[in-house]
Amino acid sequence: MVKPVISRRDFIKGGLALTVLNTVPFNRNAFAQGANENDRIVAAAKSIGKTDLSGMIWSNYYIPMQPSMEEFRKATGIGVGGIQDISIFDIPQRAMAEALSRSPQFDFFHVDAGMIPSLASAGLLEPLDSYMKKSQFKIDAVGEYNKLLTYKGQTWGVPTDGNVHNQYLRKDLMEDPDSQKRFADKYGKPLKYPETWDDDFQIMQFFHNPEKNLWGSGNLRNRANGVTWYLMTFYSHGGFPFDDDMKPTLNTDAGRRSLEVYLREKAVAHPESPGWGTPQMIPRIAGGLTVAAQYWDGIIKLNENAAKSKTAGKWIYGIPPGADVGGKRIHRSISSPLASILVNKYSPRKAAAAYLACWWGTLKASEQYVGDNVNTFHDAWHKGHMTSKIVQDAYTVGGLKAVEKCLQIACPPIYLTGYLEFQDQLGKHLSEAYVGQIKADEVLKRTEEEWGKIVKRIGVAKLKEDLKTYKAIMPKIAKPV
Amino acid sequence: MLLLQLYFSFHQWSIYLGAWHEAEFVGLDIFKEVFADSRFGWAILRSLAFAGGSTIGCFLIGFGLAYLMRKPFRGQALYYILFILPMLTVPIVIAYTGEMLLYESGPINDMISRVSGGDFKVAWLSNPSIALLTVMLLEIWNWTPFTFIIMVAGFASLPREPLEAARILGASSWRIFWEVQVPLLRPVIFLALTLRFLEAMAEFPKIWALFQGGPGSATETIPVYIFLTTWQYFQVSKGAALSYVAMMLMIVIVLGAIRLLRHEKRALDEMYVAPRSGG
Repeated sequence: MVKPVISRRDFIKGGLALTVLNTVPFNRNAFAQGANENDRIVAAAKSIGKTDLSGMIWSNYYIPMQPSMEEFRKATGIGVGGIQDISIFDIPQRAMAEALSRSPQFDFFHVDAGMIPSLASAGLLEPLDSYMKKSQFKIDAVGEYNKLLTYKGQTWGVPTDGNVHNQYLRKDLMEDPDSQKRFADKYGKPLKYPETWDDDFQIMQFFHNPEKNLWGSGNLRNRANGVTWYLMTFYSHGGFPFDDDMKPTLNTDAGRRSLEVYLREKAVAHPESPGWGTPQMIPRIAGGLTVAAQYWDGIIKLNENAAKSKTAGKWIYGIPPGADVGGKRIHRSISSPLASILVNKYSPRKAAAAYLACWWGTLKASEQYVGDNVNTFHDAWHKGHMTSKIVQDAYTVGGLKAVEKCLQIACPPIYLTGYLEFQDQLGKHLSEAYVGQIKADEVLKRTEEEWGKIVKRIGVAKLKEDLKTYKAIMPKIAKPV
Repeated sequence: MLLLQLYFSFHQWSIYLGAWHEAEFVGLDIFKEVFADSRFGWAILRSLAFAGGSTIGCFLIGFGLAYLMRKPFRGQALYYILFILPMLTVPIVIAYTGEMLLYESGPINDMISRVSGGDFKVAWLSNPSIALLTVMLLEIWNWTPFTFIIMVAGFASLPREPLEAARILGASSWRIFWEVQVPLLRPVIFLALTLRFLEAMAEFPKIWALFQGGPGSATETIPVYIFLTTWQYFQVSKGAALSYVAMMLMIVIVLGAIRLLRHEKRALDEMYVAPRSGG
C-alpha cells in the first residue's frame, strides 16, 4: 500500500483551519461582497472622517431626505451642516454662478439633470464613477433611466426625483354609460383610453364644458413649462431637435405636427392657462376641474390622497399617447426636471458629498423620501420602488405601474451644453404663438434661426460631441414592455 | 464691478469654453450685436411704455393726494400713514397678492362687476395685450406714495407770499393753483417724474414674479431681457454690453432731466428777481 502524501488527519486539520480563517474579515472585498449597498457605501465613506457638507437644495426636497441623511451621519460622521434653500427652478442659474467663480462654497447641488452638460462643460461637476465603483453602488433605475444622468460616458449625478410625465384621464367620466353612448354616436368608435394624440384631443373636446367649470386639458402652456410638453410630443412623432451636423431639425413634419397638437389644445384649455404654472394647475387637476392631461407623476400621490384631493380613485393613469411613425406607434414620456444630486468639483469635501449622494440613491434611503405622503416632491425611479409597499401606498398600485412604464420611455429635455438657452428660445416662440403674438408657422422657423446662432456661439464641434450622449440616452423602445 | 462689465463688453466670453481672463478681445462686435438685436429694441420700447405709464399714473394720484393733504386737518397723520403703506410692501408680495386678486374669476373682476352691474371678466394675467398694463397698475399702487411724499414736501416748501398776493388780488382757487402753485412746483414735479421714471425702468421683481417676460414676450422689458441673457443663456458678454447700453440710455434721460430742471429753476429765479426801479 502506498502511503498518502497528506494524511486524513492533516486534511481535516487543514479544513478546520481554513474554515476558521474564512470567518475572519482580513479580506475587505469579501466582507463588502457579503454586505448590502448601504453597508458598502458606509465602508467606503468612513475613512473620510467627520465632516459637515453644504448644499444648494430646495427645502421641499430636502426635508424628507433629512432622516436618511442623519442615518448616514451616525454611520460615517458625514452629514449636511447647512443648505441654501432655493427653488429648483432657480438653482441652474445659481449653480452656473458658482461655476463662473469656481467657488468651493457648496459641496453639492440638487438640480435638474438637464443641466449636466452645461455644468460639466463649465467645469463645475465631479464625475461619480470612481466613488460608485469604490462603494460598489449603482443607480438601479427602471429600464435605462439611469442613462439620463450620464454625459460623455461618465455618471454625474444621482437621481432623487424621477419626474416623468404620465397620462391622467378621468375614470369617472370615461366609465359613465351615458357618456360612452354619446361618444360612440358622435365619433363612431368606443370611448376608451387614448392611443394617439388625436384620440386624446377628441376626449378632451368631448368632455370640455366651461359652463360646468370642466376643462378638457390640464396641460401647461406657459412660457417656462410648455416646451417640456412640446418636446414630449415631438419625440413621439419621431422628431429629434438636431441632425448629426448640429443643424436644427425642428421645422420638419414631426415638428409641425407636434406644434399642431400643442396649439390646438387652446380650444379646450382654460383661457387663463397661458400664464399658469404648477401652483395654478395642480389644484385644478386634483380638484376635478380637468378631464385629461400629461403631467408629472408626483400628482398621482396628491390625487390619491383623499385628505387633499376631491378626485381620489377617479383617475386612470397610463402612458402618454403616441404617434404613428413609419408604420410603428411610438410613445414617449419626458423627464424634466430630473432632480438629482450633483457634486462640486471645487469642493474639498467632494468625496464625502459623492458618498452621501450614493447613500441617498440607495433603495433604503430613497423609498422613504419617495413614499413620503406629506412632502411629495420626490418621485419614484428605482426598480425597488416599483414593489415597495411604502411607495405603492403613496401612488396606488395602478399609479405606480403607470410610472414604471413611463420611466421606460422617458426622454431628456434638450440634453446639450446651452440647455437653458435652447429651451427658452423654443418656449418663448411657443408661448408667443399660443397667445397669438406670432403666427404658428413662425414658431419653428424663428426657433431654428435662434438655435443656429446658439450652436455657432457655443461651437459646432463641441455640441457634436454632446450630441452623441444626447442620442445615446434616448429610449430605444417604441412603447414600454 | 463696472470695470469688469466693461471688460466683458469687449471680450467674447463663453463659460463653456474657458476661463474669463482667456476671453477673446472682439472690439465693438458685441455692441454691434446689441444694437442689431431687435429683441432688445422691443425690450426698450416696452420698458419706456411701462416706465412712462406708471410714472404718469404715480404722479397724477400722488400729486392729487398731496394736494388734498397740503393744509393740516384732523386725522392727517393717519391718512399720511395709510397713503405711504403700499411703498413699504415688498414687491414680490405685491406680485403674488396681485396674482390672486387678478384671476379672471377673482375678487377684482367680481367687485367691478358688482359695482358696474355688468359681467367684467378681464384676463389680466393671460392676455398679452394688457399684461404690461396689469403690472403697470401694480407698480402705480406700489410707488404712488413715493411721488406723494415728494409732492407733500413740495407743497410744504412753497413760499406764502405769492399765494397771499394772488388771493389779495382776487384770483380764483383754480388760477392760484394753475398759475401760481404749479409753476412754483415745476422743479419738484420734474424731480419726482425723473426719479420715478428711472426707478420704473429698472423694475424687475413684479414683472418676473408674475409673468417671467410672458405671456409670449409681452412683458419682456430691459431688466427681464438682461436677466435672461446673462443668467438663462449665460451670455455674460452680451449681458454686460446690454447693461452698458441700458445705462447709457438712463444717463441720456437723466441729463435731459437735469437740463430741464435747470431751465425751470432759471425761469423761477427770473420770475422773482426784484424789478428794476424806474427813473
